[in-house]
Amino acid sequence: MYTIELEKVRKSYGTFVAVDDLSFKIEKGSVFGLLGPNGAGKTSTIRMMIGITAPDSGTIGMFGKAFERKSLNRVGYLPEERGLYRKMKVLDQLILMAELHGMSAADAKQKAIEWCQRLDISFKLNSKVEELSKGLQQKIQFIAALLHDPDFIIMDEPFFGLDPVNATMLKNVLLDLKKEGRTILFSTHRMDQVEKLCDSLCLINHGRPVLHGTLKDVKAGYGKRNVQIDYAGDISFLERSPLISKFNNYGNYVEVQLAPGADSQELLRVAAAHSRINRFELMEPSLEEIFIDVVGEHKVDSEEKLQAEKNNLQVAGGRNA
Amino acid sequence: MRNMFIIARREYLERIRSKAFIVMTILLPVLMLGATILPTFLMLRGSGETKHIVVVASNTATGELLRNQLNKASEQRAKEVTANTGMNRRNQEKVNYAVDVITDTSQSRRATLTEKVKQKQLAGVIFATDEALAARKISFVTRDISSFSTMDDVKSAVTQTVRNSFLLSKGLNQSDIETTFKPVDLESENATGSGNTLTVFFTAFGMVMIMYVTVLMYGINVMRAIIEEKTSRVMEVMLASARPMEMMAGKIIGVGAVGLTQVGIWAGTAALYASYSALASGSSLKTIISIKLLVFFGVFFLLGYILYSTLCAAIGAMVNSDQEAQQLQFIVMAPLIVAIVMMGSIIQSPNGPTAVWGSLFPFTAPLIMFLRICIETPPTWQIGLSMGLMALTAYVLVFLCARIYRVGVLMYGKRPNLPEIVKWIKYA
Repeated sequence: MYTIELEKVRKSYGTFVAVDDLSFKIEKGSVFGLLGPNGAGKTSTIRMMIGITAPDSGTIGMFGKAFERKSLNRVGYLPEERGLYRKMKVLDQLILMAELHGMSAADAKQKAIEWCQRLDISFKLNSKVEELSKGLQQKIQFIAALLHDPDFIIMDEPFFGLDPVNATMLKNVLLDLKKEGRTILFSTHRMDQVEKLCDSLCLINHGRPVLHGTLKDVKAGYGKRNVQIDYAGDISFLERSPLISKFNNYGNYVEVQLAPGADSQELLRVAAAHSRINRFELMEPSLEEIFIDVVGEHKVDSEEKLQAEKNNLQVAGGRNA
Repeated sequence: MRNMFIIARREYLERIRSKAFIVMTILLPVLMLGATILPTFLMLRGSGETKHIVVVASNTATGELLRNQLNKASEQRAKEVTANTGMNRRNQEKVNYAVDVITDTSQSRRATLTEKVKQKQLAGVIFATDEALAARKISFVTRDISSFSTMDDVKSAVTQTVRNSFLLSKGLNQSDIETTFKPVDLESENATGSGNTLTVFFTAFGMVMIMYVTVLMYGINVMRAIIEEKTSRVMEVMLASARPMEMMAGKIIGVGAVGLTQVGIWAGTAALYASYSALASGSSLKTIISIKLLVFFGVFFLLGYILYSTLCAAIGAMVNSDQEAQQLQFIVMAPLIVAIVMMGSIIQSPNGPTAVWGSLFPFTAPLIMFLRICIETPPTWQIGLSMGLMALTAYVLVFLCARIYRVGVLMYGKRPNLPEIVKWIKYA
């Protein structure tokens, strides 16, 4: 059972292609990472998923059927561009958002109070939004996306601008929701924040998928093996060894990358023959390394061009007419 | 539909509760009353008192005649004001003139009298010697030349005196002369039976101004609200559950309802005030504003508001700040201002070509057609055509602006030019 299925989705604005031939499925109850650098097409993809825009070609299915606006009552969306009505009271604001997702005002009020207690902000229920700090506003926004008990939760850069304590609090809330069987999609360019959370991911760049699969598969498939060696003596000779494609000396230890086809045991033997080895650890590449490596190949565009593209990306159309 | 209602309700409640609304609702009637009552009050200040005036005449008879005419003129003016305003102001309006007649026409006496006026011992001196009467050029020395009521009285008194003495010299007796000049009351009455000329003019003017102010103000309110949603980035959060069309419609309906509420409060206050003063003067309220007029006001206000607020919504969606919106806003609002400028000539000839075309052109129609209906009922086909054209334009505009809105609300950065807007409209 898949919560959402994208099949060969394409979206262009004039000559600019925002999303190109993108396909992925998200299994119910899993956490999915939609990753990519700024301007890669993440927001465009999400906007198509929730019907703000329509794809030029390809299909999008949600909850096992073709997209329909009724399904949006089961979707919670935290956009990257946060926004609340500044003059509105927190409680009124939350009730409004929940009502727009099909809840009754009475249910919405009760839920809003519960959520605010859970996130320690119930003392601000009757304050105007403009009186709150940025961090508190973030929490309100977060609650607004979850208040109507959605089955599919879309979070665009959810932890941006939060201190570690609050980030952890929200992360735990999301993990609880996952345990309840809800599907969560993270869209971010901060790999370190989602690496521990995601079951599977799709890395896109320039609107095209670059890597796609479960976290394990992606890491294994990427095939880079790093080794950290903690040593006493001199092992600088390794730098010229054919077993190694990359060598970084951090002083207390070195980190090397095995050459394609090289055996780590062979490296251990060679190293041990020349020096005393205290630690020899085979490292998995972090998602961030993979990201930088893959995206670096495609060369990230200059900021200016990105901004221009971003403006184009925002153009809406389609299902809203 | 449900979302549209929720958005409209939010817009309505948030605005009704705001301080700005409460202040505006109270302040505007106060300002308007102030603007109409204060100048009248200032102008009439000093009336009801007694003015000491000296008449310098060649013989006592002429002097006596002028004295009588002066008090008669004052009485007559007070009567006319009472008839025109429907308020009993006879006592406030009437000026009592204490007139001394002097037959010494010498230059030295003239100088001392003028000096007395300067020193405020006298309100004025009228030099009505026989030579002056014959030349029909009479001088009136006073400090208070801005007092309209005194000027009017003196002018009509000396005119009457000149005529009177002329007719006397031709051999008519005094009572015949008085019969000749006895004032005739002209009671002009609107064929539709709603009050006299002056009240019709003031109600028409007042209601058109209220419509102008509210359409302008609430149109701009819609625009501001959308710009605020864009700049606070709340737009995308809303779009996750509501269609742009629902948002735009909800906004326009909500703000429009606030406008109707405000006009309703004003109309209610005005009705209370009018019924109070109507009771005081004994005429009924229905003669001033008919139910028909109120219904037409509602219809034309709504049509005008929809036209302008849709345009404003599109502008709001296109731009990024209030400053950017201002130039565009002026272009869009220009027809309303033109309509106000045209009011004068339309009141003069409510069936002339300017009036007819102005009341058919959809963007000036709300004000001009309503103005014409206030003054005298235009042909039914013109009213129908005017409303039909407005409704049609509104329909097309809602369609076009919804498309601009849909694209515009998610656009940040540069303001689009015309070809870009055309492109937006063409997007599927």
